[in-house]
Amino acid sequence: MIVAAIRKEAQVLLRDRSALTSLFVLPIVFMAVFGSIFSGDGGAAKPRLVAVVRGQGDARAAAAVNAIATSGLFRVREEVSRARVEELVADEDVAAGLVFPPGFDPMAGVPAELIIDLGASPVVRGPLQGALAGLIGRSMFGAAAPDVLVARSPHGARPLAGATAFQLLIPGNAVLFGFFLALTVGISFVEERKTGTFRRLLAAPVSRPVLLLARLVPYYLVGLVQMSFLFGLGAVGFGLRVGGSLLAFALLTAVMVFAAVSLGLLIASFSGTERQVGAIGSVCLLLMGLLGGGMVPRPLMPHTMQTIGLFTPHAWALEGYYDILVRQGTGIGDVVREILVVAGFGIGFALIGSLRFRFER
Amino acid sequence: MALLECRGLGKDYGALCAVEAFDLDVEEGEVFGLLGPNGAGKTTTISMMCGVVTPSRGSVRVAGHDLARDSFAARRAIGLVPQDLALYEDLSARQNLRFFGGIYGLRAGELAARIDWALSLAGLVDRSTEPVRRFSGGMKRRLNLAAGLLHRPRLVIVDEPTVGVDLQSRNHIFATIRALCADHGMSVLNTSHYMEEVELLCQRVAIMDRGREVARDSVDGLIGRHGGGSLEVEFRGEPARVASALGALGGVALEEQGAAGGRVRLREKEPVKPGAVVRAVEAAGGEVESLRASKPSLETVFLALTGHSLRDDEA
Repeated sequence: MIVAAIRKEAQVLLRDRSALTSLFVLPIVFMAVFGSIFSGDGGAAKPRLVAVVRGQGDARAAAAVNAIATSGLFRVREEVSRARVEELVADEDVAAGLVFPPGFDPMAGVPAELIIDLGASPVVRGPLQGALAGLIGRSMFGAAAPDVLVARSPHGARPLAGATAFQLLIPGNAVLFGFFLALTVGISFVEERKTGTFRRLLAAPVSRPVLLLARLVPYYLVGLVQMSFLFGLGAVGFGLRVGGSLLAFALLTAVMVFAAVSLGLLIASFSGTERQVGAIGSVCLLLMGLLGGGMVPRPLMPHTMQTIGLFTPHAWALEGYYDILVRQGTGIGDVVREILVVAGFGIGFALIGSLRFRFER
Repeated sequence: MALLECRGLGKDYGALCAVEAFDLDVEEGEVFGLLGPNGAGKTTTISMMCGVVTPSRGSVRVAGHDLARDSFAARRAIGLVPQDLALYEDLSARQNLRFFGGIYGLRAGELAARIDWALSLAGLVDRSTEPVRRFSGGMKRRLNLAAGLLHRPRLVIVDEPTVGVDLQSRNHIFATIRALCADHGMSVLNTSHYMEEVELLCQRVAIMDRGREVARDSVDGLIGRHGGGSLEVEFRGEPARVASALGALGGVALEEQGAAGGRVRLREKEPVKPGAVVRAVEAAGGEVESLRASKPSLETVFLALTGHSLRDDEA
């Protein structure tokens, strides 16, 4: 029964262009677009452009501008007037502007002015402001400037050397789209009910749990193929590396796909038509994807939203993937909690879905 | 022992009784008709017979197996052909049959042989690799029937097998059903709301109306007992007086009445001559406007037993 169902579902899916597009093509497009937005060339961040105006012969201002230009974080564009700097910032041609007044001397109460859109998100503005303040402050001590901070990972974090933004983007997109498999599963259940094929199958010598399994197992395999394809493409096309254990990676993927397929059954159990699956499923999946960090990394969210995100399997799956992908030597033991929680979500979805699901309406 | 035995089979949905206690025997090699209008409870009844719906009461035995206790063995003896076209439209006819055959445990060479047999039976050998979505309604109906036969069931339950099909496919389906009994020894339980279909195909028939059985016999037996012909009489005159006058000739149902006339259906106990009708109406002070005779048939049986026609229920 299960083998016949797998073969049949593969035949149906291979003819369903829209399902294939949403499962395989759309995630690639998202990965490429997200990658272009956040990482520039090959995942390395480009220096930001800063416009500067300063008086001729001002040694402190010259030292500060030099420190900024040689930091590797910024490129400097010298301008002749404050008005021109403000115009460039307003037009978003530069990330920020710096105006060094005549006699620039912060110690004497004559600071430089940072021209920046104060309406911009602190997430965007804060790092820029902090980096420029630090560079200018260090320039005031000359060559004898002491190191104020030395960055280190916490004990045992074992960061993967040379990791690019794709190490985080690819699992984010893979989890987001991996869970969209639930929509395909939900629609397939409702279609089967609508066409009456369930009726024919119910009359066959097969138990109802096996009938449910026969629908879920083929999609589980499809999910595994989808995730292998997405991570494989990430490795080949975007240089994704697995810093930790491949077995842990495979286990996490296995339970994540299980949770996605079970979620499809749960959505189908609440839906009578394909349209309802689309409506209920899309809202649920987008919300879960958003809260779970599939679109915006959870560390950038307010604390409350980060906590709410923990009620989604997405968040736990992503936590696990980040550990395995960006931390050298992560083993199964390091992500066992994430694997168990995602599996728990899957079991919960499957139990509620199978209890609620009606083969006939 | 009958191939299918139902005893006191019934189904309630909350307070609604969809099917009252229903008894039925279908013998080996027989085509049995379950006749009734839409909503009579036919589909619910056959759904209980093949385990799709759990009965509220009663029992079902198929080929000696109790459906409740020995469910898989009982179901293996049944081939259900649902009213819906229960097919995968994106797959070819052959792929559909391979899947449904696989569900019944058919494998490899045996499955291939059964698929060829079923395709030949459905007249679809030449179209077997085309996606079903390209088929006409009649071709889909034939494939729908074939998909229920792959495991060679002893009892085939066909639910409204000719709904929405052209004449050619209808005749093909009739021929197939007859061949299943004559050549393969299968029994067929055929539900329909088409009188002609049941008259043409079935040796015995049970008539259902509003969830209960109202009669059961051979087609000829039912027509002989309940199916006297009827006359539809449209007249001018006082409806009550005219109906009363016609009552002397047979059973009268006043179907329509107005201030100056109406329409009466006269069920004949014995053949009634049109002249007698005209004279009776005129004697009651009325005048016949039109007179239409219906031959004895299951249609008239249904009318006699339920007081309404199948067309009334469909409207």
